[in-house]
Amino acid sequence: MRSPSSLKQEFLKRWMRGLQRCTSSSKKDMNTLERKKVIKLSADLAMASARNGKTSWSRALIDNASGDNDNRILAERILGPESDILIKRVSTSVGTVSCNRKIRSKKILKRSCNSVRRVRKATHLPHHQNVLAKSIAKRLVQKRTQILKRLVPGGEFMDELSLIEETLDYIAYLRAQVDVMRCIASATELINRNND
Amino acid sequence: MEPNPGTLAGSISIRPDQEETGFESLQFREEIQRLIAVPPENASSFTALLELPATQAMELLHSPPSEEGDPAPLSGDSLHGISDDHISYISSFNGNPTFPSNKALVERAAKFSVFASGENSPETSSVPSNSSANLEKVKSEPAETDSNPNSSQPLVSDPTVESKTQRSAKRKEREKKGKGCTKKSKNETSQDAQKLPYVHVRARRGQATDSHSLAERARREKINARMKLLQELVPGCTKISGTALVLDEIINHVQSLQRQVEFLSMRLAAVNPRVDYNLEGLFATESGSLVDSNFPSMVAPLVCPEIPFNGSRQDYQQQWHFDALQQPLWGREEDSHTFITPDNSLLSYDSANSASLHSNQLKMEL
Repeated sequence: MRSPSSLKQEFLKRWMRGLQRCTSSSKKDMNTLERKKVIKLSADLAMASARNGKTSWSRALIDNASGDNDNRILAERILGPESDILIKRVSTSVGTVSCNRKIRSKKILKRSCNSVRRVRKATHLPHHQNVLAKSIAKRLVQKRTQILKRLVPGGEFMDELSLIEETLDYIAYLRAQVDVMRCIASATELINRNND
Repeated sequence: MEPNPGTLAGSISIRPDQEETGFESLQFREEIQRLIAVPPENASSFTALLELPATQAMELLHSPPSEEGDPAPLSGDSLHGISDDHISYISSFNGNPTFPSNKALVERAAKFSVFASGENSPETSSVPSNSSANLEKVKSEPAETDSNPNSSQPLVSDPTVESKTQRSAKRKEREKKGKGCTKKSKNETSQDAQKLPYVHVRARRGQATDSHSLAERARREKINARMKLLQELVPGCTKISGTALVLDEIINHVQSLQRQVEFLSMRLAAVNPRVDYNLEGLFATESGSLVDSNFPSMVAPLVCPEIPFNGSRQDYQQQWHFDALQQPLWGREEDSHTFITPDNSLLSYDSANSASLHSNQLKMEL
């Protein structure tokens, strides 16, 4: 398992590189919002590329970033020379998934309708309290799974097991990102304060 | 005679939830084989039982229902589809329970008991706590997090004793109830069975041994194992029982992390007029001092305003990234819940140090 320190190092490295690449080419000064966008985007891409497309959420992130045209150029620049390879890899893997997605989403719809019907029946005849409680618990869990799916990038079309794995990975990544960013932020602030 | 096998049977049923290694499984196997010389399964009650927990943790051993008066042996359950690895065990069974030595399964099973859909009768609550306490020591499966619980020596003897007494008490309770409460006792036994993270791979009588239920069981176990890992990763989740609540916590955690990222990126954007983070010699520190500090997060540059310092700082800088990144992370791994409040420590640390600014460019060749 990647240790968090190596994770952070990797992230930091890629992030800085991405930022450098991005800012070196743009002449104008961006306002704060743009900067924030760039920072966030480069951070996201940094981590995503660190995963090398092995995890689904990273693929989804890259995919999203390349989706919008305005972002795409930026993203490509940030990703740098290896961006072509990465994006290709991502798009191929995503492409195969997208067909499954449609099928899966239909299945999910059907299943959800059925389960709703089943639950309604169950509530009408709680022949056993156990069953009723179980079904309620299931619904709760399902709701939360839905929410989680929305949170994790690229999570909508995964089954439970992979969703959980992706979440694990994603949380590790988010933590590393937060730590690194916080560190740099406070560092820069301190320095600026000292400079003044 | 009746209570005796019953007790023993009951004890066996609890024992496996502490089992964690293959060695233990061997021991159990022998003991169980001895015990199994005892009565065969009780068909009618069993089949009824078996239908009940169809969607629940299969690896759990049912304690035989008492209303029949016959202590059915422990081996009742089938724990199919524990995982593909262990399906091989199934073939080796002929009526003897075996205990696949996968710790992960035991975990999962016990996990399942914690995750059992929402309802926990008071009876079951004691055992899950017992098993989950033990599980803390079980080494978890594909290690996806650093914070794996260490595998301890399987606590076989002590829990067995405890569980024996527990089980015997429950059994006596149930035996008193008599035949009138068939459903209830079935319920109980099924609930009891849920508690037992028993990794027993034998076909239950009357239980569908088709691939669907097997596969579903395997799937459920995997999911529970992952959920357990997630629980450990998210701070404060280990005490929560119940999938829905754990998922709640996880969702909150992910959302807060995402919000933090947004906030921090905004902060960074505000702080620096240009998006230029070459880290130009900003981060100078004494690498030695880093060791002492035990930050929950990465060590920030330690800047002391008054003391200008030149020269030898340069060597530190390039090392800084690695040192700073590596050292505090040891601390980080230990405190899993402090990563939110690093700023205070950073600032306080800062004043304690005598590093200074540098304006050299840091090479990013890492």
